[in-house]
Amino acid sequence: MITFDRVSKRHGERLVLDSISWRMDEGECVVFLGHSGAGKTTILRLISHETQPTEGTVTVGTFASGRLPRRHRALLRRTLGVVYEDFRLLHDRSVFENVALPVRVAGRFANEEVIPRAMFALEEVGLQDKHHAYPHELSAGERQKAAIARAIVNRPAVILADEPTGALEKKSAREVLDLLKRIHAEGAALLLVTTRAEVAEALPARVLYLDDGKLVGSDPAAAPGAGAPGAGEDPAGPEVAGDAGSRAATVP
Amino acid sequence: MHLYYFRESARSIRQHRALATTAIVVLTAALALTGLFMLLTYNAERALELMGDRREMIVYLRDDLSPSDRDLLMGRLHDLYGFTTYVSKEQAWDEMRQQVGDPTLLEAVQDNPLPASIRIKLKPALLAPDSMEAAAREVAKFPEVEDVRYGAEWVRRLDELGAGLRLGTLAVGVIVAIAVVFVLYNTIRLTVLARRQQVEVMSRLGATDRFIAWPFVLEAMTEAAFAALLALGAVFGVQRALATRLIGLEFLPPVWALAFVGAAVALAWFAAWWALSRVLRAVGP
Repeated sequence: MITFDRVSKRHGERLVLDSISWRMDEGECVVFLGHSGAGKTTILRLISHETQPTEGTVTVGTFASGRLPRRHRALLRRTLGVVYEDFRLLHDRSVFENVALPVRVAGRFANEEVIPRAMFALEEVGLQDKHHAYPHELSAGERQKAAIARAIVNRPAVILADEPTGALEKKSAREVLDLLKRIHAEGAALLLVTTRAEVAEALPARVLYLDDGKLVGSDPAAAPGAGAPGAGEDPAGPEVAGDAGSRAATVP
Repeated sequence: MHLYYFRESARSIRQHRALATTAIVVLTAALALTGLFMLLTYNAERALELMGDRREMIVYLRDDLSPSDRDLLMGRLHDLYGFTTYVSKEQAWDEMRQQVGDPTLLEAVQDNPLPASIRIKLKPALLAPDSMEAAAREVAKFPEVEDVRYGAEWVRRLDELGAGLRLGTLAVGVIVAIAVVFVLYNTIRLTVLARRQQVEVMSRLGATDRFIAWPFVLEAMTEAAFAALLALGAVFGVQRALATRLIGLEFLPPVWALAFVGAAVALAWFAAWWALSRVLRAVGP
């Protein structure tokens, strides 16, 4: 699903990632743990084609790194759901409009499908009663839940979370992690980067350690012929009825 | 989905009222200038057409011409040059009397000195000054003809005036078109930069450039259409104010007005896409 093959990234003189190789399969949960500046966010930016590797290859589904046409890059991004530390909600529109945006962006759904899809995502994060509210009217935890609803509304194959609890106090952080855990259990692959060990411990994740752009210890999953850890187990966890059960969308 | 684009466009105009108002005011001023030139050209062309209808050639006949020769000549001139009317010596005298008005002035003239003539309303193909000149030379060669008059210099000046006005309107139109593109290019660029965060978020959510761009394009087109209508209103005001002094001054016909608004909207479409093709690459990661 996602493969990094000897990927290096350089910003000027600074080597941000140093020839790292790892892979992640459908339905997996992977956490990158490392200090600030270790290169964690760069990994997410490489996956979403916001930046290109200096060396090596990043493959996401059928999309390989390199200069993708902007239209293809848009298609790749629609297979991802991204959650940011600073939420990145649009302040001039309601929670509902924020969550509905990816549905409209995808362009796959008729107008009458936008409302039920967005409301379903809001119900999943427990914000259905606040769909008319604007981001500034919500607490930090609620804003992050809205951002998660926005990330899951199109049933992406993988959720990328960049320090999702970084701006939250303990109770909200625990709620957000529980939510992510539940979403993963329903079938979505989850890739989370964090500086906090307790976040990694709270998730049923394979933890990879980054230190100054280097993967500390290799990723056994990236070894030739290796499958995902826990191969043979059901990574989707308990089956969930209805639409939520089909969360693991296919990456083209 | 299209409704979404219109809603987003309205939201953008609401949120950047000052920018939109400035753009509309500047565009209205530029478009009103073009509108005034169009009003001038339209009315001048109408006047020229009316004058052009009076473009005729007067063929003075020899006094000793028999009626049968005259009829024969009229037939030939009719076939070659256009519709002919015979004006006898007496009719010419009557016309002159009416034009002069004061009978005492004409008492000094004993006999009617005016020759009989044939007036030719020229075919459309012969209305250009050069064609008229060539036709006059040919007609003068007929032995029955004493002289030919057609107001060569007047016709040439009339045509030059018409061509000058059309060129002037075209020049003003081109300058204003460049100004419209410049104003809208920068307005849309500033609007996108002001909404940079939104553009970045949408790009990260997988929005195509087209999806992000359409609301901004609609915004530019709306502003241009609004400015064009305001400019037409201003031109209408000028026409009404001047109509009392310049009798026959008419407002632009609906086709011209529609073309005016359409051209402004088309320019806005072009300017907005141009701006977005450049700015989205810089903003969308």
